Order: sequence, then structure tokens, then C-alpha cells
Amino acid sequence: MATLRAHGIEARLPDAFEGRIFIRPRVANEVPFPVAHFATFALPGQVADFGGGAVTLMGPNDVFAVLFEYGPESIGTRLFARQGMPRALGVDDFRPNLLRRGLGGQSGTQWFFTESGRPFTFYAVLGSHARRGALVPHVNSLLSNLSVNPQPLSVVPGASAWN
Amino acid sequence: MVALVIILTVVVLLLTVLVAGLLRSHADILKALHELGVGVGDPVGDPVGEAVGGQNGDHRHDHSDGQVHRRTGGRRHSTQSAPNSTPVPFTMGPQLPGERNATSAPTIAGVTPSGDALAIAVSGNDQLTLVAFLSSGCTTCAGFWEAFQTPDQLGLPDGIRLVVVTKGPEMEIAGEVQAKAHSRLQVVMSTDAWGDYEVPGSPFFVLVDGKAGRRIGEGVANHFSQVTELVRRAQVDVQAFGIGSRSRAFAGGLDGPERESANDRELMAAGILPGDPSLYPASLDDIFPSNIDNISADPSRARTTPLQDPQAAQRSAG
Repeated sequence: MATLRAHGIEARLPDAFEGRIFIRPRVANEVPFPVAHFATFALPGQVADFGGGAVTLMGPNDVFAVLFEYGPESIGTRLFARQGMPRALGVDDFRPNLLRRGLGGQSGTQWFFTESGRPFTFYAVLGSHARRGALVPHVNSLLSNLSVNPQPLSVVPGASAWN
Repeated sequence: MVALVIILTVVVLLLTVLVAGLLRSHADILKALHELGVGVGDPVGDPVGEAVGGQNGDHRHDHSDGQVHRRTGGRRHSTQSAPNSTPVPFTMGPQLPGERNATSAPTIAGVTPSGDALAIAVSGNDQLTLVAFLSSGCTTCAGFWEAFQTPDQLGLPDGIRLVVVTKGPEMEIAGEVQAKAHSRLQVVMSTDAWGDYEVPGSPFFVLVDGKAGRRIGEGVANHFSQVTELVRRAQVDVQAFGIGSRSRAFAGGLDGPERESANDRELMAAGILPGDPSLYPASLDDIFPSNIDNISADPSRARTTPLQDPQAAQRSAG
């Protein structure tokens, strides 16, 4: 089982999953935060934060998931009131109208939460809503192998820190 | 007469001293070997367990065929399980993890030159992946790094995924790698991947069939056009001859330890038992007989010579 570890996020990848954990280059005054992409298909080199450029490549048996961190100003807001990452999703949690980009046959789910003092959203896409019974366990397997560490202040992007 | 006796006495004394010195030297060598864990001449204990499993950390497998198979440093030796045998482990090359075989294609996980984490699953999909093991410093690699600056002009067949793997940041300078890598090129820095894929040096290329989940080709090249041609041929083989289905058969147990056991059974059935001199060639002449012309002139011998078998010759050439 391959392990990905960067920016305070660790993922032990279930079979057939690949992924990346990255921070986009800073542009102007924008402060980027860590993003993690996971997929059961070959991720192209350039993928938008929430799967643009990747979800169109999915087959009916594929899964795509995103763990996206928001800035510390989101901590304590109602949207991120849920404490802890969801670890076991049900088939009813996935709906076609939850997709960021509606593609025929697919379905998705999205959760906002705070984990280890860091605000995140978890967004997952199934290649086939009809096959959600078989695909949701793959998402749950991924979720059970994700962990988030409290981000040290010195590596929070944009925060003051000694060199 | 007296002088002759004196001379003989002196000679005998000198020979006695010489023999005593040789025996002492032999004892010192045996003692040193024993301290190194080889266990030659160790009269106590289980020599196999002590010398092989206990001290060297090698794996030992007992099989139902009455053989004791030992895997030492990637080379496997068989010895009859006779009670008085004194096995001498022989280590060559890196040790093979038990769960790995020569065609496995594990996920490549590491970091990018910019410090992000990246894992690429080359198995479990329907495409071929070309993994290029490069380093930032090798002269031959420079041509490949340059070619990868324009991925669209590489000439790779459609549907081939290209992944570059360098050693990890502990052995490579990430900044150097980043400077050489095109932004659209997927580069993983992972020393573990070099071990998993048994890479002998750079540049080295591995082609993985994602559907079969195994390596279907690997080797070196000086120019990327050579690699492209080999990939094109492999893609044709996969599509036209169903290598994928044959690969599934390999994945189903005909490779790895099972294959080694099958080879052992075939050799034993042919009368080649463990320790047979033919298994341990001492020179190139033992592998490539110098009188090969004479062999080909003798049809009865030609049938038993692998080099005369067209398929074997083709495999040798390939």
C-alpha cells in the first residue's frame, strides 16, 4: 500500500488508487492551501481543484476524490462546524445533483468539516451513479486511510515564520 | 652417512614446521568464516538455521518435495535435506522481498521536485505506462530530459502514459530535477521505486501493461526514438497477440515463487539435481560452447542446443 505524505496530510492509498497532495503556486495576493486528489484512473498532469480536466476521463467503475483545505479564517464558521472527517459514507449520500459539473451518469457528494483544527471539504465523484453500491466502498476505504495532522504555524502559507 | 642423516632430519623438521603452519592457517580461516556466519565446519546446532536464517537474515522455505530452498541475495539454492549436509550460503546482489517477483508493477509513490506528494498507479487500468528512470547528472539522461521538454513531439503512440522517476531527494537535488523537468511532465522522486523495479542504473525504461498489472518490457536506450519504437512494437503485441491475457495467466500464479518451484521440478525431472555442475558455469565457454559450429553440423545435438531453437534464439536476441 503506497503512502502519500505532504503538507500535513497523509494517505495510505488503497489498491488501484493514485493521488497527489500539493499546493498550487502563489499568484498575486492569493494564498493557496493544500489540495489532495485521489483517483482510480490515471490523473492528467493538470487537474483543477475540484476535478476539472479529470472527471471527464472517468469510466463507470472509477472514483475521484478531493480533499481541499480552506484558510484559517474559515475555522469556527457554521459551514465547518462539523468536527472530524466523515469516515463511512452511504450510497444515499451520493446524488447526481451534487456534482460540481453535471456529467451524465455520474454522482457526487461533498462534506465540509474541521479536522485537527484545519477546515476542509471532501468531494467525491462516482463514475456511475447506477453502480454506487459497488463504488462507495472504495470511497470509504480511501476515507479510512486519510489522516490530517495539525499544521505547524511555521508552515501555514502566508503566516509569519522564522526562516 | 652421518651427513645424510642430518640433512634428512633437518628436512623432516622443516616440513613438520611447514605443515603445522598450514594447519594453523587453515584453522584461522575456518574460525574467521565461522565468525562471519558462514558456519563451515560448525559441529553444533542447526547449520542451516544458524547460518542462513539466524545470522544473515535470509529467507528459508521448506517445501513438501523434501528440499530445502534458500533464497540468498536474490539467488536461490537447493540442497538435499541430508542430515550431514553443511550448507554454505552464497550472497550475490540485492535481497528480494518475498512478495515481489520479476514482473510486478507496484504503485510509484514519492515526491515531486517541488516537494508535493505524488503516487502513480501503473496497474489496474487499461493503458500502457512508460516509466523512465533518469537522474539529473548522467550524461546520457541529458538527451532524454531535453526530449521531454516537448512531450507532444516524442512520437509515442497514443494512449501511452509517460512517467519519469528519479531517486528521492535524499539522493538527488530536487532543484536540479525541477530545472530539467517540463511542467506537464509527471516526475516522481522515489528511491523506493528504483528498488521495486530493480533498476540497474540510469537511463532505464520500463513499460507496464496496466490491464495485466505487470512489466512487459524493460531496458536501456541511448535515444528516445529507440524507446518509441520498442513501445510501438509492444503496443502492437498487446493488441494483436493478446499479451494481456497471457499476462493474466502469469499473474495467476505462473510467475514468482511458483515459477521457481516449477523450474526446480523440471530440472529435477531432467536429472539436474541441486549442485549439478551445469548450474554453476565457470567460464563463458560453459554457456556459449566454442564448438557451436560443430554442434550445428550434428543434427542430433542441435536439437538439444537452445541456441538452435529459433524461438530460443529469438528470445536471446531480444
